[in-house]
Amino acid sequence: MLLETHAAEIETILAKYPQKRSAVLPLLYIAQDEYGHLTKDAIREVASILDLPYTDVFEIVGFYTLFYNRPMGRWVLQVCDDVPCCYLGAEEVISGLKRRLGIEEEQTTPDGMFTLQRVKCVAACNKAPVLQANLNYIYNLSDDKLDALLRDLRAQAESGQKLSISGRLAEDYDATPEGLRQIVRDLGSISQEVAAIKAQVASETAKTESEAPAAESDAEKSE
Amino acid sequence: MALTEHVVLRDLDVPNIANFDVYLANGGYEGLRLALQKTPAEVIDMVKAAGLRGRGGAGFPTGVKWGFLPKGLYPRYLTCNCDESEPGTFNNHQIIDRNPHQLIEGVAISAYAIECHTAYIYARGEFATAARTLEHAVKQAYARGFLGKNILGSGFDLDIYIHRGAGAYICGEETALLESLEGRIGQPRLKPPFPAVAGLYSKPTIINNVETLTNVPRIISKGVDWYRQFGTERSPGTKVFSLSGHVNRPGNYEAPFGITLRELIYGDDYGQGMRDDRPVKMIIPGGASAPWLTGEHLDVKLDYESLAAAGTMLGSGAVIVLNDTVKAPHLAYKMDEFFKHESCGKCTPCREGTHWLVSVLHRLAEEGLGRPEDIATLHDIYGQMAGNCFCLLGESAVTPIRSALRIFPHEFDEMIKEAETRVRAHKHANGQHAIKLEPVGR
Repeated sequence: MLLETHAAEIETILAKYPQKRSAVLPLLYIAQDEYGHLTKDAIREVASILDLPYTDVFEIVGFYTLFYNRPMGRWVLQVCDDVPCCYLGAEEVISGLKRRLGIEEEQTTPDGMFTLQRVKCVAACNKAPVLQANLNYIYNLSDDKLDALLRDLRAQAESGQKLSISGRLAEDYDATPEGLRQIVRDLGSISQEVAAIKAQVASETAKTESEAPAAESDAEKSE
Repeated sequence: MALTEHVVLRDLDVPNIANFDVYLANGGYEGLRLALQKTPAEVIDMVKAAGLRGRGGAGFPTGVKWGFLPKGLYPRYLTCNCDESEPGTFNNHQIIDRNPHQLIEGVAISAYAIECHTAYIYARGEFATAARTLEHAVKQAYARGFLGKNILGSGFDLDIYIHRGAGAYICGEETALLESLEGRIGQPRLKPPFPAVAGLYSKPTIINNVETLTNVPRIISKGVDWYRQFGTERSPGTKVFSLSGHVNRPGNYEAPFGITLRELIYGDDYGQGMRDDRPVKMIIPGGASAPWLTGEHLDVKLDYESLAAAGTMLGSGAVIVLNDTVKAPHLAYKMDEFFKHESCGKCTPCREGTHWLVSVLHRLAEEGLGRPEDIATLHDIYGQMAGNCFCLLGESAVTPIRSALRIFPHEFDEMIKEAETRVRAHKHANGQHAIKLEPVGR
């Protein structure tokens, strides 16, 4: 139950708004990460935390594109196919990913690792073509960078690193061919540091979970 | 000529200004300190005098907007619109990534000016990284007493919260944003009442864009005269132009209002010319909803008035430049596909209009199966949308197809002729009752 597993985080979120229902989007993000996708039970659970009619929350899940009511891969790859990306190689990126993953758009690889989606503008047109992997930006893509990208994303997942399809752990990094592996390694070490800091914060100061992102960001900056 | 001093993209003048200490050492929070020594009305007057205009698209004077709040009605809310999602727009992410504290300071000063104690920054769902950067910046500001209770001993209290959307362009429409922030689907509200009177939780609310609010600290700390040295009389200050498409060096370039398209596209400090030296074919100067210009308009100046005179608009300052490899009907198709995808479904002209525009354009421009009657149909569809949509999204969807048909009508004719030739050949080879012709790949 989210109220038990994420008590402090939910409390902090609710304190931000004079009306509880405003917390529906952040709570759905938490539920989505916790349960893998927004099952009917997960949606009902969020609704009951916020005293909302179930149908309101079902409607919200259907309306916003970043909520998934079906199983997704551990990495959700969202390739922008909008102007100007589409004139700068986005279609090649999409077909390159389809070929490598052996799936069509809106499908998930049989091993449950990747889901491929076509999306509209993600506001990084100066670095087109662009995709987001669990809402991490990956810029200036081309077909020859895709093997390395997929290999590194897979390695991150298989290393046991916590992933968030809701983007609650998103980082920003450039997918330059030589830079990518280095950065992925860095990300790996950051996540270890973050885990250490989180444990320290939790045990020593009993701070609320909401403050953990600050500790993470500090780790990023020092990196 | 590039600016020697930036108003918004200060990371270009001060390396590492995203670091809080660096920001403070370089005049950070000086604007808030000065503002708190003035009355809120005096701060509003300064912003009015500076002539700051909303950078989100409408270009409405910010100080005047603040003045619309009804007297004596509290609480009030300030909401920062960071739902940047329109094709070609991409400055918010960079501002937040490289100079986040100036935005937070801008929110704080503006909240003081409009006498509100709670501000929300609504970041689009895809800006997960930016939202985390902002959370961090806000925490640092609280820790040093720039936010929270009794800020800098002035007696002014302010809380800033970051709220992440979940993927919906329509939430950039200010009343849809409020709906979303209240925990509903993002469908726009009927106006009036305007948000200044009854906005978030039915309280008086001001909604300003990220870039707009990032201008505010410098107006207060450096003064109106300093600010007005940039830009033109009626479009004072600078604008972060987001240049993308077939240019050699796409990116965000802060420049005074009034530079020409030629300078932005070809200037050494900006776009550095077109890829492979191909000619400019289309320029979309203000985001997807702006009427198109062509290679003949390179001497048009980038300010509100000049672009309006050229029949288009500055909008969000997103300049998409495309070369002669792009076919106008296909560009109209891609643009309208965006609006179709993002239509919230509330009103019929937009929901149905974008659907039918895209279905005709897809057949014509993507499948290569245009029909002679398509042109009349397209005119008919957008004609029924124009002026009839509930909000600006539907109205904006009219622009790409209207621009394409107005400027490049021959390209539609050519595509339809090619299709007719193919269909005839197909029927000739396979008989009158031949199975459906396969679409061509574009």
